[in-house]
Amino acid sequence: MKFRAATLGALAVAAWLLPYGLGSYSIHVVNIALIYALLAIGMGLAMGVSGQINLAQVAFFGVGAYTLAILTTDRGYGFWAAAVVAVLATVATGLFVGVPALRMQSHYLGIVTLGLALGFINWITNASVTGGADGISGIPLPTLPGIDLSSEYLYYYLELVVCALGLGFGLFVVRTSLGRRLRAMRDDSLAAGAMGAEIPLLRMTAFLLASLYGGLAGVLYAGLIRYVAPETFSIGNMFILLAMVIIGGRRSLVGCVVGAIGLTLVREWLSDFSTYAQLGYGVVVVLMVVFAPTGLAGIPSRAKEFVNRRRHGHGRRAEADDRARLRPFQPYEAVERPSSTAEPLLDIRSVTKDFRGLRALDDVSLTVAPGEIRGIVGPNGSGKTTLFNVISGFYRATSGQVRFAGRTTTTARPYTLSLLGVARTFQNLRLFGQLTVRENILVALDRTRTHTIWQYALWQPGVVRRERRLRRRAQELLERFGLADFAESAPGSLPYGIQRRIEIARAMAARPRLLLLDEPAAGLNGEEVGQLAGIVRSIRDSGTTVVLIEHNMGLVMSLCERVTVLSGGGVIAEGTPAEVVAAPEVIEAYLGDSALADVPRPQPVPAPAPAPAPAPEPPGGSPPPASPPSASKEASR
Amino acid sequence: MRTISFRRTAAPDPGTPGTPATPATLAVDDLSVHYGGVRAVSSISFSVAPGASVGIIGANGAGKTSTLKALMGLVPRGGGRITLGERDLTRVRARDMVRHGIGYVPEGRHVFPGLTVEKNLMLGAYARRWDDGTRSTLAEVHELFPVLGEMGGRLAGALSGGQQQMLSIGRALMAGPRILLLDEPSMGLSPKLVGEILNALKRLREEGLSLLLVEQNAKLTFGATSHCLVMENGSVAMTGTSEELSQDPRVRRIYLGL
Amino acid sequence: MQETLQTLVGGLSLGAVYALVAMGFSLVYRTMGLVNFAHADIAMIGAYAASTFYLTHRLPFAVAMVVAIAVTAAIGLVIERVLRPLENKDFDLMLIGTIGFGIVLQAVAILIWGTTGRAVRSPLPAAPLDLFGVRVRTYDLLVMAVAALAVLGLAWFLARTKRGAAMQAVAMDHEAATAVGIDVGRSNALAFSIGAGLAALAGGLVGPMLYVDASLGGALGIKGFAAAMLGGFGSIPGAVVGGLAIGVLDSYAAGHFQGYSVLVTFLVFTAAIMIRPMGVFGERTVSRA
Repeated sequence: MKFRAATLGALAVAAWLLPYGLGSYSIHVVNIALIYALLAIGMGLAMGVSGQINLAQVAFFGVGAYTLAILTTDRGYGFWAAAVVAVLATVATGLFVGVPALRMQSHYLGIVTLGLALGFINWITNASVTGGADGISGIPLPTLPGIDLSSEYLYYYLELVVCALGLGFGLFVVRTSLGRRLRAMRDDSLAAGAMGAEIPLLRMTAFLLASLYGGLAGVLYAGLIRYVAPETFSIGNMFILLAMVIIGGRRSLVGCVVGAIGLTLVREWLSDFSTYAQLGYGVVVVLMVVFAPTGLAGIPSRAKEFVNRRRHGHGRRAEADDRARLRPFQPYEAVERPSSTAEPLLDIRSVTKDFRGLRALDDVSLTVAPGEIRGIVGPNGSGKTTLFNVISGFYRATSGQVRFAGRTTTTARPYTLSLLGVARTFQNLRLFGQLTVRENILVALDRTRTHTIWQYALWQPGVVRRERRLRRRAQELLERFGLADFAESAPGSLPYGIQRRIEIARAMAARPRLLLLDEPAAGLNGEEVGQLAGIVRSIRDSGTTVVLIEHNMGLVMSLCERVTVLSGGGVIAEGTPAEVVAAPEVIEAYLGDSALADVPRPQPVPAPAPAPAPAPEPPGGSPPPASPPSASKEASR
Repeated sequence: MRTISFRRTAAPDPGTPGTPATPATLAVDDLSVHYGGVRAVSSISFSVAPGASVGIIGANGAGKTSTLKALMGLVPRGGGRITLGERDLTRVRARDMVRHGIGYVPEGRHVFPGLTVEKNLMLGAYARRWDDGTRSTLAEVHELFPVLGEMGGRLAGALSGGQQQMLSIGRALMAGPRILLLDEPSMGLSPKLVGEILNALKRLREEGLSLLLVEQNAKLTFGATSHCLVMENGSVAMTGTSEELSQDPRVRRIYLGL
Repeated sequence: MQETLQTLVGGLSLGAVYALVAMGFSLVYRTMGLVNFAHADIAMIGAYAASTFYLTHRLPFAVAMVVAIAVTAAIGLVIERVLRPLENKDFDLMLIGTIGFGIVLQAVAILIWGTTGRAVRSPLPAAPLDLFGVRVRTYDLLVMAVAALAVLGLAWFLARTKRGAAMQAVAMDHEAATAVGIDVGRSNALAFSIGAGLAALAGGLVGPMLYVDASLGGALGIKGFAAAMLGGFGSIPGAVVGGLAIGVLDSYAAGHFQGYSVLVTFLVFTAAIMIRPMGVFGERTVSRA
């Protein structure tokens, strides 16, 4: 911490003293570099932090600069008044460009944003209000009392302050609630939605931030050069900006700044060989994505990991060093169970789900009482996970109704359900890979809505206070689940059993009323399964109703009060575990005593199925279950 | 070019250059599979004699599919040895397994949905030259599953589940394999269709093709195989003849976790 | 009426070029799930190469074209090979990687051919034909004919050849394709080089219609891209329909909005794609989230 403060201080002093050692041209280059740094921060926030491919950053830059130029030269605004309007106009543009992100992602978004940027360039090149290809000159000098901004040396300080504030604000966003959510969305937007993150609003926020920085950069640029022309905002410069962000490290704002300043200086230095320089950037970008996808900013941690791996022989567990261990789970305080006559917490009525002609769920009805632990079992492909996806809002039922806590939630989005009190885990673990374990928990703990981001602009102490509260609760939760030793680890570096526990802790962070566990015991060893049973029981005793899909029948038998058996998309049995395993339909579904007798409709008996004599071959499709073989009879108690 | 007729009991078609397969035993020794830090399959060993039919059964998540995928090389093989007859296949890449006579019918059928049935079948013979040999194999597949001939021009994605399963098996047969690996061919099918599939498997077996059948449906597997392995938590819990196992109450306990 | 028809015809020939670019995108997307942002610059290299062989080396136009296609197909192979480690892993990184290649190709073009562009004379110097009162340049007809041939050729390759079928199979299910013995990497490389070849064909054909310079790729690429999206990413008929649609839209916008044609084109395009993100013939491939 001290070291960091010292570094920061040294950097500040160096930045302050820098102009004294530079010639007038050099300071100009530095000023340009700082403007690119601001642009790169915006780009990093959208692309690296939020995962929104935004190739219109250079257009945001242009909107800011041009708005300022037009307002000052044509409409007689003062510089600062025009600057405010320009930034607002840029943000409005950013939100407009971001709208497509609600419908498309990844490359689609890249193309649309790039297309809109091209449209913008086309417009400024041809419109008369923008001065066409000649651009607009004669932008007035920004004035500050007592400071002569016509001196590039003094302008440098203005930029430095704006940049430092911009970087500081960016880092503040990234490290607190909003940024954590944006990063969670980037890593896994499905899981983030299930944690209550309002994905559409967050995507718009990413564009808002990108355009805010773009607008600021545009204003500073117009004030510095006092002339704007289309070539500054070309697609070529867009790609250079992209190169800056990738080379610096898109996930680190500091990396983006380093990339931007570094590349601007290199570009200037190589200005006599600009084409070779361009060739160089291109090659470096390609090499970076293949060999160092985290950019320059990621190299220290990669190097550390490499060294660790060398030292420990195998890197996988290196991070979870010997002293760190999974501690026992500390049970929740039990609350009194609601009476069983209460209204069902979850009520699924005749739900059917079709996928392109394939019926995954067929008229499934099921109710879960509050305080229950319900098991859902069934063979592969019987529709269990589909049912979870329908309950948690990932899929919309083709027909039928889902009711949760007395409300119809058939068409609710995952984040809405999360806010109502539905939490879930995923069969294939969907932890946010680039976040630490603590941050994974924090994302889920955070129940503030996205619209409270006004606090970031106007009342930062509110954000800080909330953050402190969240961190305290996260620490409690980590300790409860015995995960405190791994709080700062990347989830991917931890053993599988611990990752499973993190997922449960994360789902429990919001204290849901209903917890859906999708194969929580998959990949766990015997001891871990035992611990899991204890955790699930305690969760139920704390007042959370649990529904779990599980293949480990031993666990289901010991844990669940009631078990629902799915097969072929329909419910074939429901009852206590003992009842269910004794039900002929279930034995058939699992062991195939009467090859899939769960298909209810009678089928014409096909040509006699030939089979080796001793084992009775399933007689095609006789609807009632054929007599179970002796083996099953013996086993039934 | 190896063009093995899988139908050897019937009189060969005049145009069939059907050379019988050299008998070879598929032997899997000490095969393990890891995903990340998780051990999905630990040191499993078994063999399939020429013309034999062996089943691997077990509940969901027992490691059956992982075993088959590792055998095919579709997931990294974590140690162990795989041989077919004299030939060591341990280091053979997935795409070359078919050239060594291993046919694979994946779980969930995995036909090429946007291609016609005919094209799917022809792609099954990708590793061979498309010539008279393939055409006669195609005729044999059509005889085994007449519906594939009738639906030749249909897109595979438009077929019913059972037809897709037949197509998936037919596609694997097109390469002229010595042994066929089947992963859950009964999954999601109606009894009638399961019956048809079993019929076809029985015919293939009678014609000398070795089968390795991975199934959750134990009863079905006992009927279609001579020997079985019962897997539990990534390792072999029981082995025996299918007949013995079908009488053994422990199988049910393993399944139902009792 | 007359004017509308004239706009339509003008749009169709450029549209045919966009369709070729879109087809290349689509092929690569369909087989590898990769959007190749360098595609546009490959088309630009193709345009330069074709014009160089045609103008400087005085090869016949058709031969110059074939050589240019071969050159760019080789470039496609290189790109695929370098980015192969990212295949089926990190989609966004691959996308940025292809942008990096685009930057490289532009620099290479400037190094070889300089910053001043060149005009390419039409290989068919005949006077425009008059069809029902609409003036049609003979070269435009040639472009449409060649584009149509290329579409048919690609369709034939995909539908009738073993390699073509294998390429589609890889796209649909690469694990099942591996199991039947298809070398997925090689199939992808082939797809990539065919895609690059189509880009070069588009670039070469557009040479005599537009001015060839290093920024040609940008204009051609983004519209080809838009065409592919509009038609439905990964669909060959979609690429054709999308290409013609963008061409006509473009020509209409140029006629009515002059300087703002690109802006209008992309606003209309954005609106269309918002309404139907999967395009005309597309499947549900939009948000992978």
